[in-house]
Amino acid sequence: MTPDFLHTIEVILNGLMAGVMYSLVALGFVLIFKASGIFNYAQGVMALFAALTLVGFQTGQVPFSHLINELFGTQIHHWGPGMNNLIAILLTIVVMIVFAWLVEKLVLQHMVNQEPIILFMATIGLAFFMEGLGDLMWGADIKTLDVGIPSGGSFWWEDVTRTWVSEGYDYYGMYIDLLDVYATGIAVLLVTILTLFSQFTKTGRALRAVADDHQAALTVGISLRTIWVIVWSIAGIVALVAGIMWGSKSGVQFSLSLIALKALPVLILGGFTSIPGAIIGGLIIGVGEKLFEFWIGPLVGGATENWFAYVLALFFLMFRPQGLFGERIIERV
Amino acid sequence: MFYRESGDFKTSYIQDQQIFPILQDRVFVIAVIAFAFLVVPFLINDYWEKSVLLPVLIWSLAAIGLNILTGYCGQVSLGTGGFMAVGAYASYKFTTAFPELNMFIIVLLSGGVTAMVGVLFGLPSLRIKGFYLAVATLASQFFLIWLFNKVPWFYNYSASGQINAPERFVAGIAVTGPNAPPWATYLFCLILVVVLALIAKNLTRGRFGRSWMAIRDMDIAAEIIGVAPLKAKLSAFSISSFYIGIAGALFFLVYLGAVEPTEAFGIDKSFLVLFMIIIGGLGSILGSFIGAAFMFLMPVLIKNILVNGLGWSTDIVAHLIFMIVGGLIMFFLIVEPHGLAQLWRVTKEKLRLWPFPH
Amino acid sequence: MQDIVKEDDILLEVRNISLSFGGVKALEDVSFDIRKGEVRAIIGPNGAGKSSMLNVINGFYHPQEGQIWFNGQLRNRMKPHQVAKLGIARTFQNIALFKGMSTLDNLMTGRYIKMHSNLFAQMIWKGPAQREEIEHRQKVEEIIDFLKIQSIRKTPVGKLPYGMQKRVELGRALAAESKLLLLDEPMAGMNLEEKEDMCRFVLDVNEQFGTTIALIEHDMGVVMDISNRVVVLDYGKKLADGSPDEVRNNAAVIDAYLGVSHD
Repeated sequence: MTPDFLHTIEVILNGLMAGVMYSLVALGFVLIFKASGIFNYAQGVMALFAALTLVGFQTGQVPFSHLINELFGTQIHHWGPGMNNLIAILLTIVVMIVFAWLVEKLVLQHMVNQEPIILFMATIGLAFFMEGLGDLMWGADIKTLDVGIPSGGSFWWEDVTRTWVSEGYDYYGMYIDLLDVYATGIAVLLVTILTLFSQFTKTGRALRAVADDHQAALTVGISLRTIWVIVWSIAGIVALVAGIMWGSKSGVQFSLSLIALKALPVLILGGFTSIPGAIIGGLIIGVGEKLFEFWIGPLVGGATENWFAYVLALFFLMFRPQGLFGERIIERV
Repeated sequence: MFYRESGDFKTSYIQDQQIFPILQDRVFVIAVIAFAFLVVPFLINDYWEKSVLLPVLIWSLAAIGLNILTGYCGQVSLGTGGFMAVGAYASYKFTTAFPELNMFIIVLLSGGVTAMVGVLFGLPSLRIKGFYLAVATLASQFFLIWLFNKVPWFYNYSASGQINAPERFVAGIAVTGPNAPPWATYLFCLILVVVLALIAKNLTRGRFGRSWMAIRDMDIAAEIIGVAPLKAKLSAFSISSFYIGIAGALFFLVYLGAVEPTEAFGIDKSFLVLFMIIIGGLGSILGSFIGAAFMFLMPVLIKNILVNGLGWSTDIVAHLIFMIVGGLIMFFLIVEPHGLAQLWRVTKEKLRLWPFPH
Repeated sequence: MQDIVKEDDILLEVRNISLSFGGVKALEDVSFDIRKGEVRAIIGPNGAGKSSMLNVINGFYHPQEGQIWFNGQLRNRMKPHQVAKLGIARTFQNIALFKGMSTLDNLMTGRYIKMHSNLFAQMIWKGPAQREEIEHRQKVEEIIDFLKIQSIRKTPVGKLPYGMQKRVELGRALAAESKLLLLDEPMAGMNLEEKEDMCRFVLDVNEQFGTTIALIEHDMGVVMDISNRVVVLDYGKKLADGSPDEVRNNAAVIDAYLGVSHD
């Protein structure tokens, strides 16, 4: 095999794993959309917020310390040395559940029967609010997040792939970040758990019922509001997982919330209501944008990753508006 | 008590179709416009020009543009920043290629170029709706900004990759560049904004406006009545982009003077304009002005109070502003989806009856 | 009334229409005609394909087989807005008004195909656009008077009660001054008094404006009273076609409505 060919494989592999990361965010969108018909733009900011909170707990930050210091002239920053990873994660989950409950109580409850597009715009408002809140609680500086997931290149894989090259070429082996490998594993685990949950538990059945038909679900005694809190909690946990992965990879910072924007074309490709769609859509976008950047990027000045996913989604929409796995829409009057 | 329409009878359809059917409103609006043209230019200074009047005027124009598309035609767009960039770069290319061309014509041409780009990116709206379309418009946002960053022709191969507004004159007085007097830039923008707002009002109250609203409210019924979706949607996209393009051109030529695309026309600008029309009022030209003024001035005011008044640090205030903006958006969508313009209308209804509410 | 309608004066004819969605057959080989100036009722149990038939007529659905002849000409595959220009207007089973607009604006929108002033005239407003607006406003005011909805002229239609919305929707369809008016359950969900009003309007439209009307209705009393001829659909197939009396006594129709005992 020539080095060029091996490079292409490396690009595809990295694309696949980047795709998994996109899928993780897209998954949160799909969950909320299926259960409530809300397109939750704030999903990306939820990931940022969850990651910020996790770091805050880990390092023992006092929430709102900047604001408190400003108001009362105090100098508090930390309440202690921080806490163990597991406890911090559990506490963050609690925070995300409380957050879900508050969103339902303060926003969603008042917006029943609004048009989807109004709800969408409301979640943009929610995203702004949470972004401000997260920064105000934990500070806007870039933080490193480490929950013990190995990272860095895999030497073993480099050694293995180095032997694949044909005689007479210089080749240093493929680079694969261990973090990406673990992220893939965790994503697979998460999807499995979610699938089992929705197939084999009572709550899961209720969730699917609500996704199918709100009114019918109400008539058989399912509480829509409880379901919404549950769904937003699950989406919050998914956001936490995504936040941990992206945060470990590139630090916890404002740009983390922008991954939400990357997840949108993933959804368009996969359809808004399909979990397998979100995963495959993520993989297609991941591989597509890496390959495009690898092949076409150098010819047009690079940085095509900024827009490739959207333009791909745009073309896709022209031909299959319902997404890869969405159902064909028959309009009725 | 004095604000009422009783006795103000309409005896012809022309009278009934006026933009401001109530006499007091008409007098008030004419007074405001007269004040803006005849008094403000003598009082204006650098601070008022750069910090208040120019940005509010320019953002109002962008808000009118987006309101035509989103408020009237119901097509949500997140590509406003990208379209403003098209207007800005078109005006840059025109001013540098044709230095003698009248500035009003340059600005209108830039709007025209943006309208064409708008139609191109509006094509998917024929197949897709709602937030699918909103996501698709993101493609224009990211692609256009990338294009202006990467293709040197757009910034005339300048080393910095920035574009700078050259000094240009209207009737011998500079309206762009560092030496332009505040009153000149202000009047230049004011003329455009007033005329374009009037045109927008005319369009939205007539046949075109009704076809847009029909598509917004019930697209299937609209089509069965005889509104061609292609024509209605694409005309909304092109006219909306025309306004947004002109806003972008003014933003660059008159207000900023120098522009780096990612900084000046990023996705945050798309959201800003969307928030302006949500808070001001979807489907209201007046609301576009109110929303633009509110969204631009509210953070300035808060900053002035908290940072300059109470001495808080700027980043804390910035975060607070984020929270306030987000909170307000949710609040308005829950309580009054028609925004401040509707609140104003309701107040007027009450005022008419005051002091006898029943 | 009966004698005004000439046998050979056919406005619209559907021939052998078949329509299916995936495997579901909505219409199977349905043919009938509508004569100029008549009130034609389409009846049938729920799911018989009545609304699908209207959707086919105004170009919203495209049948897999069959022909549509309008005004003596074979109609090609057309989009709904093109069909509207031919002169076919309709109302909907579930009210499809423009909720954000006033009654007046809804009716003015109904005249969209009759208005022609261009973009630049619209921008300037004074002059041609305003003249046109006033001209059409007068027409619309006539319809407002006809339907007795003067008092809700400027009310947003979303705020109107159900019966009024139905009336405004009829007004919007009338505003187009169409040759053929399709009414999809115009009296559904109304009380007796509202039904009587609506019947009056339908008959008045037919008589005063000479508009041909095709309507879907479940209330048999109404159908028998106001229609000249009735076509009966069941499971997407035509069951019977004829005058109200013929249809009333048709055995197949009675079976479809009352059920047959098969013992």
